[in-house]
Amino acid sequence: MNEAFEPVLLRRRGVAGSQTLAYYQQDGGYNGLQKALKMTPAEVIKVVSDSGLRGRGGAGFHTGSKWGFLPKNYEGPIYLCVNGDESEPGTFNNRILIEEDPHQLLEGIAIASYATGASVAYLYLRYEYGQCYRTLEKAIEEMYANNLLGKNILGSNFSLDVYLVRGACAYICGEETGLIESLEGKRAWPRIKPPFPAIEGAFRRPTVVNNIETLACVTHILDKGPEWFMSMGVPKDPNNPRDPGSYGPKLYCVSGHVNNPGLFELPLGITARELIEKHAGGVWKGRKVKAVVPGGISMGFLSADELDTPLDFAGPGKAGCLGLGTAAVIVIDDQTSMVDVLYNNCRFFAHESCGQCTPCREGTAWSSKILRRIRDGHGKMSDLKTLEDISNTIGIMPGTTICGLADGAAWPIKNALKKFRPEFEEYISKGQKTEMREALAAH
Amino acid sequence: MPSLFINSVEIEVQPKENIVQAARRAGVEIPHYCWHPDLSVVASCRMCLVEAGTKKDDGTVAMQPRLVPACQTPATPNTVVVTDSPKVKSSQAQTLEYLLLNHPLDCSICDQAGECYLQDYTYQFGKAESRLDEPKVQRQDKYYIGEQIALFTDRCVMCTRCVRFTREYSGTAELFVTSRGSVEEIEVLPGQPCDNKLAGNVVDLCPVGALCSKDFLYKKRVWWLKSADSVCQLCSTGCSITVDQSESKVERVRPRENPQAQGSFMCDDGRFGWKFAHSENRIRAPRIGRASHGQVASPQLTTIGAPTNAVEQYSMSVNQSTPLATATVSDLTFADPWPGLINHLQSVLKQSAQDHPTKTLAVFSPFMTCEEAYLLADYLKKTNPKITLAMGPVPVVGEDDTYPKGPKGQSPAAEKTRFTIRAEKAPNRLGVEAVLQHFQKSIVNDEQWLSSMELNPFETVLVVGNSPAEWLNDETVSKLRRAGKLIVVDILENNLTHAADVVIPGVSFVEKEGTVVNHAGLAQTFHPAIRCSDGTRPDVRTYMELSGRSGLYHGPTIRAEMASVIPAFAAFETGELGELGKRVFS
Amino acid sequence: MSALSPEIREKIISYYGRYPNKQAITLPALHMVQEAYNCVSREAINEIADLLELNPTQVVDTMTFYGFFRDEHHPLGKKRVWVCRSLSCMLRGGDELLAEVCDRLHLRPGQTTPDGEMTLELAECLGACDGAPCILINDELQLKVGVEEVLALAKPQGGSKS
Repeated sequence: MNEAFEPVLLRRRGVAGSQTLAYYQQDGGYNGLQKALKMTPAEVIKVVSDSGLRGRGGAGFHTGSKWGFLPKNYEGPIYLCVNGDESEPGTFNNRILIEEDPHQLLEGIAIASYATGASVAYLYLRYEYGQCYRTLEKAIEEMYANNLLGKNILGSNFSLDVYLVRGACAYICGEETGLIESLEGKRAWPRIKPPFPAIEGAFRRPTVVNNIETLACVTHILDKGPEWFMSMGVPKDPNNPRDPGSYGPKLYCVSGHVNNPGLFELPLGITARELIEKHAGGVWKGRKVKAVVPGGISMGFLSADELDTPLDFAGPGKAGCLGLGTAAVIVIDDQTSMVDVLYNNCRFFAHESCGQCTPCREGTAWSSKILRRIRDGHGKMSDLKTLEDISNTIGIMPGTTICGLADGAAWPIKNALKKFRPEFEEYISKGQKTEMREALAAH
Repeated sequence: MPSLFINSVEIEVQPKENIVQAARRAGVEIPHYCWHPDLSVVASCRMCLVEAGTKKDDGTVAMQPRLVPACQTPATPNTVVVTDSPKVKSSQAQTLEYLLLNHPLDCSICDQAGECYLQDYTYQFGKAESRLDEPKVQRQDKYYIGEQIALFTDRCVMCTRCVRFTREYSGTAELFVTSRGSVEEIEVLPGQPCDNKLAGNVVDLCPVGALCSKDFLYKKRVWWLKSADSVCQLCSTGCSITVDQSESKVERVRPRENPQAQGSFMCDDGRFGWKFAHSENRIRAPRIGRASHGQVASPQLTTIGAPTNAVEQYSMSVNQSTPLATATVSDLTFADPWPGLINHLQSVLKQSAQDHPTKTLAVFSPFMTCEEAYLLADYLKKTNPKITLAMGPVPVVGEDDTYPKGPKGQSPAAEKTRFTIRAEKAPNRLGVEAVLQHFQKSIVNDEQWLSSMELNPFETVLVVGNSPAEWLNDETVSKLRRAGKLIVVDILENNLTHAADVVIPGVSFVEKEGTVVNHAGLAQTFHPAIRCSDGTRPDVRTYMELSGRSGLYHGPTIRAEMASVIPAFAAFETGELGELGKRVFS
Repeated sequence: MSALSPEIREKIISYYGRYPNKQAITLPALHMVQEAYNCVSREAINEIADLLELNPTQVVDTMTFYGFFRDEHHPLGKKRVWVCRSLSCMLRGGDELLAEVCDRLHLRPGQTTPDGEMTLELAECLGACDGAPCILINDELQLKVGVEEVLALAKPQGGSKS
């Protein structure tokens, strides 16, 4: 079935001129917006809600419900923040979505703004995506010139301004309230909740923060209807009343030790094995899989025995991972040391911890130092217990931090020590070392 | 009344409380670092995590699966809080291990030792060992944070109370966080130190030994300090304070929380405003005879003997070419000058009241306590009702200084003002005026009595000063000098005491008991922190003895008497005003 | 003498209408200044603060959080080249690439070549993992990069996209 899958979000990838408004419109673009403008905002929310669309940023929250949390008949301004700062290692879907098809996203932004009553949308884009920034600048200019932004869009009563905001290379700005603080010109320390952004977000006004792929999906849901969206993916688990299902197409970022790294659009629920073998050309150099990151490094690891895990919202969790995350799959071959991999993860989170909550600030830095020492050949078996304790005591899950960064820091440790423990024990007991060249050691 | 439950103890819900506050009322201490009632809630230190849930109507309790920060959780009806479960205890211990990971554990040389929340909480909630096996992060100390403030950077727990204080309370925003994650630090910009008038509060706010007061640094171990409840006397705000002393030397002053007075903080003028009490310039013995205007000491000039004056007497002896041998040891060491002084004053004042009562003037100062003003006024009016009781100048410097400041130093709108350093630089104008109003029936102000001094000078003038800074200008002093007899009560030598015929030493607020009434009519009693400086004694005792009252001064008795005599002081009825004071008039 | 050119001042002011308050212009203003001057000087911070009605410490607080902005003591070279060291790149030689470049240029991450041509930086995931190891040249990504390509960037007129 996957071979036959026609990409939707990536339909225009690689097509010459796909970034232009002219091409987009002659290819059926802005139909969704036109349909939406003929409906009431509440009806638009209902369509999105009925589609079962869940946020593509990591938490998988039901998008229609998120929009529904906004206060009704609110007098003041409402804001839409578009989270283009997704910096989860392994994740690059937003780059390709924007570079290849900016209007698909911008149409989604216009629809979402209409549905939520937002009159301003801030598109917060990570600095690294300079080309995306320029592509969006052009596309937004075209929209203003063609009455798709600004006052009375397409002759309706709906008015919208979209502003681009550039990030500055801080992972935490991908956390929605960190993003809001950064947008407001402050250090991106995530906010305590409640109040949630829907009640008090950007500039203390009701705010929706949506992921880029999510908004791209909105465009198609309005155009093709919720039933179309629900025809793809994994339906609700009949045995679990709380499972909202995993519907629609999904962009899987595949990187690491595969022959053909790349971005693959497939219905939600494909297994890791299928993704690697059928789409990414299999493991490189004829090697075998040792571990697979299912959705960005925050999600932990699948072992080689767990490759049949479906990569839908529920699948990775059943295998002990944190979740689907950004569906960024990183394949690690059997020649790679998990000690090195875990050190890389821990180092990343120590570097990106915002420094606000004690357990995360101290715990991420500590775990990174411990792994560094183990790699230097000075590990102790008791270090593994300490690492486990750290992983169990930082994050929203135990309630010790304000945001989820620390959960993402904890999960790779938990999974690595559970699923690859003998490797760590052997590394320590044999006094193994990983040489670290000077340029890397200093940081 | 709706209630909530803290470790099964049921307490009433009070509006706008969080769980930390509610638990405190239930006698349960929930440890915390970043939370402070006067600052915004950031819930970042994660020390106050507790288990929380809700008691439902059917009596069952649904607990939240995760720990929650007590500081961020409102204490609402039917909230169920558990602070002593294994889960909470383990979290507290773990958070402390994190906080102490890179802490230098230099308690032995840390000023905060003994009043440190890292120490206290570690003892109560922590574990004995750290598992850290890596070198600790070492950071540069920052002595440049403020003129009075040093930052011991590696002791900091990044609670950001100090940063929030300068942003939200003083508005001066000198402090900020630099960098992020485990390498972030508190910092100031070069050339922009934390020297605002409220800066010292960040030292008190710091729950650990990171921000230290340079003035107090390495002076005393805090466990040697003894404290007294006091009231700042530097302006009419009347901040409640705690005076910490050791061996009769004041070591530091801290604000004492009082919502009726100033709130939780105080200004640096007051914080360091006690130093005059230990000044070299203190008057240490009564003196009869004029010493001013560069005159050589005349034979009449008698500093009435007191231990500290031995040297002075010795030098006088030398001046007069009297052999030292003529002064006996007992003359120099044990002579008590006070009975002689009291006799002298009584006879001077009695004579003056008899000979020219309308030409006898007493000038009261806004630095006097209510009790001092009452005892002196009562004595003088009983001596002769025609004696004039007047109010001395009330020092006013500039305008009220209000906080939080805006980014360009501008004052806040009245409704946004959180702290005011008042332009009126005296503690008790209202209290003294109320006494004078009663005895004199009107307030004779300085303009009135000064013009009399010019046209038709008073014969005998008694002036009480007691200001920590120079109070009267030279012109005023020269007018006062036109009196036949000028009697001065004061703490420090100044232009006025130099012009006086009789000088009576007064004592500073850290050495005595008394009551002052602040700008809003709040009367607060302060208590002596140290014994009176050698050679001095409380002013009230002088006035008691002058008036021939028997027994020792007892504040509550005098205040109760005041309440019965002066209706304005009806609130003094029991003699006790409590720790936070009572509003006497508004 | 103003640290900010009239053009930059005007551009900052032109952003006033985008946000309900001026503090929100902090990040855009920092970007504008660093792009124009290769660093954000103390004087520039004061002027930004003035334009945005902030205390300069608020600007510095925000600025230092990101680790992206340089003060006048650490200005950037003509090109800023970031080498990714996150997992996807590490698995495909990112660490070796960085170490080799550092050795060959005698630079440590964060430093600039003596002729001011290139500043070398460590990056966390650049979001181009499909082309690991990847680098960022100023704000343009370059995928599947080898040592020689990075070294070429250190030469004047080196590299294609700068």
